[in-house]
Amino acid sequence: MAEPLPVPLPGAETQSALESAAPAPLRFLIVDDERTNLLVLRAILEHAGHQVIEADNGANAVLAFERERPDMVLMDVMMPVMDGYDATRRIKTLAGSHFVPVIFLTALTDEAALARCIEAGGDDFLTKPYNRVILQSKISALLRLRELYWVREKQRDEIQLHHQRLQQEQTLAERIFSKVVHRGCLDNPAIRYLVSPVALFNGDLLLAARRPSGGLLVMLGDFTGHGLPAAVAALPAAEIFYEMTAKGYSIGEIVGEINHKLKSMLPPELFLAACLLELDVSGASLAVWNGGIPDVLIRDANGKTLRRLPSRHLPLGVVNNSGLDRSIELARLDAGDRIYVYTDGLTEAANSNGEMFGDQRLSRCLAEGADDPYALLCATLARFRGDIAQRDDITLIELTTAAAGQVAATDTSLSVVPPHPPAHWRVTLELKIDALRQAAPLPPVLQLVTELQALNEHRERIYLIVAELFNNALEHGLLRLDSALKDSPQGFAEYYRLREQALAVLADGWIEIELAHVPRQGGGRLTVQVRDSGPGFAGQAFPGSAGTMTASGRGMALLRSLCKTVVVHAPGNHVEVVYEWP
Amino acid sequence: MPVTATVTGDGKKITIHISGEFNFSVYKEFREAYQRSAQPANTTYVIDMAGADYMDSSALGMLLLLRERAGGERSEIVITHCNPEIRKIFKISNFDRLFKID
Repeated sequence: MAEPLPVPLPGAETQSALESAAPAPLRFLIVDDERTNLLVLRAILEHAGHQVIEADNGANAVLAFERERPDMVLMDVMMPVMDGYDATRRIKTLAGSHFVPVIFLTALTDEAALARCIEAGGDDFLTKPYNRVILQSKISALLRLRELYWVREKQRDEIQLHHQRLQQEQTLAERIFSKVVHRGCLDNPAIRYLVSPVALFNGDLLLAARRPSGGLLVMLGDFTGHGLPAAVAALPAAEIFYEMTAKGYSIGEIVGEINHKLKSMLPPELFLAACLLELDVSGASLAVWNGGIPDVLIRDANGKTLRRLPSRHLPLGVVNNSGLDRSIELARLDAGDRIYVYTDGLTEAANSNGEMFGDQRLSRCLAEGADDPYALLCATLARFRGDIAQRDDITLIELTTAAAGQVAATDTSLSVVPPHPPAHWRVTLELKIDALRQAAPLPPVLQLVTELQALNEHRERIYLIVAELFNNALEHGLLRLDSALKDSPQGFAEYYRLREQALAVLADGWIEIELAHVPRQGGGRLTVQVRDSGPGFAGQAFPGSAGTMTASGRGMALLRSLCKTVVVHAPGNHVEVVYEWP
Repeated sequence: MPVTATVTGDGKKITIHISGEFNFSVYKEFREAYQRSAQPANTTYVIDMAGADYMDSSALGMLLLLRERAGGERSEIVITHCNPEIRKIFKISNFDRLFKID
């Protein structure tokens, strides 16, 4: 009795199956054209407690085998109609992977004829006249072998069944996973992407969602490892990303929340390298937080320059939030700029010589790709890899600036809730200097509006209006920053640096946001007023009121396009706008 | 052997030499190597990468495990002799904030 193989099959079960198989009577097919030979064989076998089926030539043996499915075959060689070699070949084919021993019983003694017995598929042979004891020993030996096969077959079937069950479970889990992780707006026309996972569950994470303000937030993540552990950790990260993006939280706040979750959840050796990118609605600026993902590349319209935004932070889930740097980098975008971000699986993809795709090939594709560098890059990568097995997940994203504000028809990242009946309400929020320093008062304000009136379809526009008024009050009213700075690429980053600095040293100040809603025929009227404690703009132009398309001028034009009226009250520290719906 | 360890100075310093590919396949050996210290929080660890050709993110994970054992923020871990490829991986992941990389 062989020892049970080291497979996940309970040993006791194997044992009992074999014991119960051993005493059961075995069924023998005996094949010979000589009547006396059949009689002798039958006597020997029946004496040993077995059952016997007879056939008088090879052709009848094949038919009997098909009909009776015996456990073992004793086969003569020279017979009319079909000889023993042919019959054995056919029987072995019929038996398939099921082991049915065939012993040749032959009067032939030359070596070539005996070798042919084995070639034809026979498992042993015995020359006539045979010794009864030797025949029984050979039968016993083959029965032992057959038992071994039997155990192996049973184990193989169990493994197959187990494997099937596992696959079904994985497929089901993958559907749940996809529902949570892929519910965003990857079909937005501004995004093109290549995703090539190693396993069913991707260790790379690609998420995209629209902002209430209409901007586009994309997150590319790369977990240590692939498969199930990565998928399990991806679920909460995706949930947080979608929830907080829809509520208008900043990149820094989203990064903090995901980091906190992963740090508390993952074992120390697992983490998520991640890059969050936010393209504003006009496609004029890109905000990036990069922790452990290769450089974000910005390619200008004609492929002449490639700007890089390198990883500045630790991956997510490595350190506690107290050690996490949430600062983002801002880049100004020009018309026709394309943004590329990818996981290291791309540059580390190997060809048949073990060479890696590398940064140089990547840069060259982007430089030479004319109107469609993305297509050139994908084609070059596919050619380079050939059919070499992949070692790591590969994800590549291209963002184009022109289509940033467009919305795909199938976008489900913002759910639609029917509005409550229009009602009268008024809320006022006054933010003192310490509250202003703590950042982000807008998500709760927006939340309030949508809870009170469920104006979900208007949420983006209302967010834009409030954000524009608030930023105007903060940056120009209180901090007195010059928005002309934002018109040059260097100034853009400088502007945000100054903003940070000025806010830190500002001794005192407040901003008041007032939202008032009244019903009107078929809808409602929302009045938004923002006041600040600054001196106003008496004697100067209100920022952005000039007709030029400066950064803040765009802001003012945006307000006028969204609102029914825009009024700046003297001395310029109080702006009142009216937004009507539907 | 892709991972070997030498202990010096009354067990106060462990040098772990990595050769070939530093990835998940050496997980067990790497763990056994750093577990040779009796007082993990009072030990200086030197990871010598002179023989290492390549490292992936699972190697970064193993270094994080070591860091945890060695006392987290108070740990003393120095990584030496990195080739340019490995240096680049440390740079992208910004792990130079967690480990001293020579």
